[in-house]
Amino acid sequence: MNRHLPIVVGVALLTSLGPWDLGVRVSASGDARQIVAEAQRRSEAKSQRYEGLLRSHEASGKVTEKRWTLERLGSHGQSKSVIRFVTPAEVKGVALLVVNHTDRASDQWMWTPAIERDRRIANQDRSTRFFGTDFSFEDLEERDVDQFSYELLGEDVIDGVACWKVQTTPKETKTSQYTSSVVWIRKDNYASARLESYIKEQPVRRLNYGDLRNLQGIWTAHVLTMTDLKRGSHTTLTLERVQYNVDLQEGNFTLQAIRR
Amino acid sequence: MWILLRLIGWQYARKHLLRTVLTSAGVVLGVAVLVGMHTANETVLLAFSKTIDRIAGKTELQISAGDAGFDEEILEKVQSARSVRIAVPAIEAIVESNLSGQGSLMILGIDMTGDRGLRDYDLEQGDEAEIDDPLIFLAQPDSLILAKSFAQRNRLEVGSRLTLGTAEGPKTFVVRGLMKSESGLASAFSGNMAVMDIYAAQKMFGRGRTFDRIDLAMQPGTTLVECQRELRGLLGPAFEIQPPSGRGQQFETMLAGYSLMMDMASGFALFIGMFIIYNAFAIAVSQRRTEIGILRALGATQRQIRNLFLCEGAVLGLVGSVAGVASGMLAARSIAAWIGRLLSSVYGVAQRADELATDPKTLLLALGLGLATSVIAAILPARDAARLDPVHALQKGSAQAYSTSENRLRVWAAAALATLAAGSLIFSSSRLVFYLGYASAIGAALLAGPLCSRLLSSALRPLLQWLRPVEGALAADSLIQAPRRTSGSVAALMLSVALVVAFSGMGQASYQSIDDWMNTTLDPDLFVMPSPNLDVQTTRFPSTMGPELAALPGVSRVQTLRNTRVTFRDTPIMVVAIETGSLEKTAHLPPVQGDERQMYRLAAEGKGVLVSDTLALLQGLRLGEQLEIAAPHGTLSLPIVGIVIDYSDQQGAVILDRSVFLKYWHDDTVNAYRVYTTGDRAAIRQRILDQYAGQRQVFVLTNEELKQYISRIAGQWFSLTSVQIAVAVLVAILGIVNTLTVSITDRRKELGVLRAVGALHAQIKHTIWIEAMSIAAIGLTLGIGLGSVNLFYVLEMVKRDIAGMRLNYQLPVGTILTLVPVMLGAGLLAALWPARAAVRGSLVEALEYE
Repeated sequence: MNRHLPIVVGVALLTSLGPWDLGVRVSASGDARQIVAEAQRRSEAKSQRYEGLLRSHEASGKVTEKRWTLERLGSHGQSKSVIRFVTPAEVKGVALLVVNHTDRASDQWMWTPAIERDRRIANQDRSTRFFGTDFSFEDLEERDVDQFSYELLGEDVIDGVACWKVQTTPKETKTSQYTSSVVWIRKDNYASARLESYIKEQPVRRLNYGDLRNLQGIWTAHVLTMTDLKRGSHTTLTLERVQYNVDLQEGNFTLQAIRR
Repeated sequence: MWILLRLIGWQYARKHLLRTVLTSAGVVLGVAVLVGMHTANETVLLAFSKTIDRIAGKTELQISAGDAGFDEEILEKVQSARSVRIAVPAIEAIVESNLSGQGSLMILGIDMTGDRGLRDYDLEQGDEAEIDDPLIFLAQPDSLILAKSFAQRNRLEVGSRLTLGTAEGPKTFVVRGLMKSESGLASAFSGNMAVMDIYAAQKMFGRGRTFDRIDLAMQPGTTLVECQRELRGLLGPAFEIQPPSGRGQQFETMLAGYSLMMDMASGFALFIGMFIIYNAFAIAVSQRRTEIGILRALGATQRQIRNLFLCEGAVLGLVGSVAGVASGMLAARSIAAWIGRLLSSVYGVAQRADELATDPKTLLLALGLGLATSVIAAILPARDAARLDPVHALQKGSAQAYSTSENRLRVWAAAALATLAAGSLIFSSSRLVFYLGYASAIGAALLAGPLCSRLLSSALRPLLQWLRPVEGALAADSLIQAPRRTSGSVAALMLSVALVVAFSGMGQASYQSIDDWMNTTLDPDLFVMPSPNLDVQTTRFPSTMGPELAALPGVSRVQTLRNTRVTFRDTPIMVVAIETGSLEKTAHLPPVQGDERQMYRLAAEGKGVLVSDTLALLQGLRLGEQLEIAAPHGTLSLPIVGIVIDYSDQQGAVILDRSVFLKYWHDDTVNAYRVYTTGDRAAIRQRILDQYAGQRQVFVLTNEELKQYISRIAGQWFSLTSVQIAVAVLVAILGIVNTLTVSITDRRKELGVLRAVGALHAQIKHTIWIEAMSIAAIGLTLGIGLGSVNLFYVLEMVKRDIAGMRLNYQLPVGTILTLVPVMLGAGLLAALWPARAAVRGSLVEALEYE
């Protein structure tokens, strides 16, 4: 069984879909883990590339738009990703390198071409907003399945589709801004339908997965909407030209490479 | 007692209202100076500490390594500490706003990705806050967030452009966000505050890959001490780890010297006030002998009489103190504004003190001191009043002469104190002994004052008689026969003049020393600097400029200067790094201690350091002693190979070779280049400016311009001396006015008799004028004598406790010559009204007086 659970977002990973034995007993925590592990297995790919359109809708009504390209290499939990901003002109060339690790939090660096400087995004800063969007830096991380405990809360219907409702709680060894998260996994294809993150008892962020399409055998959500429940703002990431298992070089996922 | 006070004391005060007011003026002035200066100090410190708090936000600890900064990699170490919840880097830079009347702008460089865990910029909450786009802000190095108040003052809004001076020359910045005016950070420095990305700030202000400091918040449940201990273990001794409030230490250190000098001035004012009160009370006792006699005849006890006068003293002191506190508070705001401007050199941005900080302890102390001064001054007259025999008291006549036994006692006491003062000089290495000696010297002068005054009056008599046979003789006799009447005034004058002489001598010697130092040390023809303001060193040059400057035609030598403030024995001192080998060839000042040739050679080889004389004196350092300074890359431990005169910093300086600095600080940036030329200086200056035009912000000051700048700064610091001198002169004038007013009232009968036997109004007026000027002349003479002693002690205080400056003893002849007409003029001026009053009253009433 794959050990890693990517419950996210910027890299649009939880998009797998597959048949599920609806007769399975769903109250045991082991089953909950099985569900998410299966969901992950179905989204497995050696690499991924897409172009993203990021629209941030402030509570005041102000909308900002940015485009990026994402390349991801490697399996869940051990992957490396590079996000490069393309527009607007002021942010063109700004890049973010995310290197996930199985045993610790990911390393993240940002490259700013105008000052020719890279900066490390410290672990302590992962809870801050990702460049004014409603995602946080932590939301870009892939999570190690062993660092969470799971509980199947029951079943629910999202957009008319039956889902399992699984609560994930970080273990003591895992640092996270979130106290817990609840993920809705579609019973029909094991794709994620919704992810809600909590701080203490309070839901703080909600991610909805929409426009689900099967690409190269992987169910992929093409519109991800993250809502900041405190601020009342939301950000929509629209995925375009999504490709899996493309030929990507390991050398492109280094600090030196993003400086190019 | 209250009945006596109301029926007798109050009636007397009401009858002699002007005299009462004048009597309490000394206390008013002393208390006012004390309250004004301390309140102003506290106000400025409060304003600065508020600014520090506003900038610090929720920061619990700050990590710094002097003002040199430290490598970026330290941040990760700090972030990895178990006790640290959040740690963010910061850079501070001062830039000219280039906006009319707006002065400088404090730029705080921070990492926007994590900084909001500590600081609230109030950018996104509420309708008023605006920010364009966080990613654009980070991606564009010209991004700036301004305080909304500053933006509104200058009609700037999001998207506006603003040109600021940077290490790379003037750069246009774009306002990409506004901080709410009332938010913590935006209100620091009265809104002259801007935020930019720290990595852009590094580039803009030539900081390389260094941070100025790290601000951090601790994990919940961790104590400050635990966190400090863990971080000290991680980072080593070169790093200061202290709460934000610790940053106020530098101001406090700077203000400490000021406070000491002002305390001295207010102490003198109170002391002088004491003599004025004593004088007034002594005369009042004499005038009220009949009244005392009646009270005693009616059964009043000695104790009641003594307490009556003591209570009068207490009431006078209390009223004077309250008036002094009120005046001090009124003056505090102006003084605070002045100190704020002076201390802006630390941050480079003027700190406006909007809220007056009143410390109840200071006010109570001032009230207590004022009260005590007045009561102490009233003790002797009260004792004399209590001892008056009712029979003698009811007899007509006055008692203004000292008894022989009283005189003898004074002379012996004066001699004993003078001997003690002289003896204490032998053991003056002890602070206590030194100050005891100082007090003894003042005490001896005060005790010997009446005798000296009488001798001088006798000596003056022939001269006065020669000048005006009748009026001169009358005036001189009045002084000789009634020394008690004038002794207090003469003592007050003597102290005032002594204070003026000492402070003026100190100021003159300080100027002279700084001037000598500038002429011998600051000898390069040109100084190339990244900022026109010498105090602001937040922008630095790269080391690559050195060879470029050296290659310019007409440049014969370039020296690289890097200075940074570090903490040594809990005191902020300056480290000056320069090529000591090159310095040897240009330095002309012989060392205070050490072999001139050897010390530069050893320093150049990295085998020793030079220290300034000020540092050696303040910290008790000796030649050959091993000096240890904790630096970011190890503890520098080198012997002191020379002690030199250097006034780079108030708290002292360590001068070391640049190679040593590079080794221990890993910082090759430069604060200034010292350029020696062989050709036309103006042409070379222009060549340098042309070389860097558009690439780098460069200011080239000529030798004269730099010296003028330093002189101006020194002038600002020493302007306090003028305030002290003004206080002393004012107190002196008060003393004369008081004495004469009292004297005229006391001599109404005597003056009435003179008028009755045919003395002209003019003759009486002239007598009083001559008497007043004689008092001024005697006070002046004695004051100059005491001042010459006082100057010695003040110079020692400056050396030991204030600035560590070894100043040459030199009497301020110019000031003394100025004091002669000022004091004689003040005497004459003070006599005008009493002289008019003396001839204006009814002759019958005057003859019936007493």
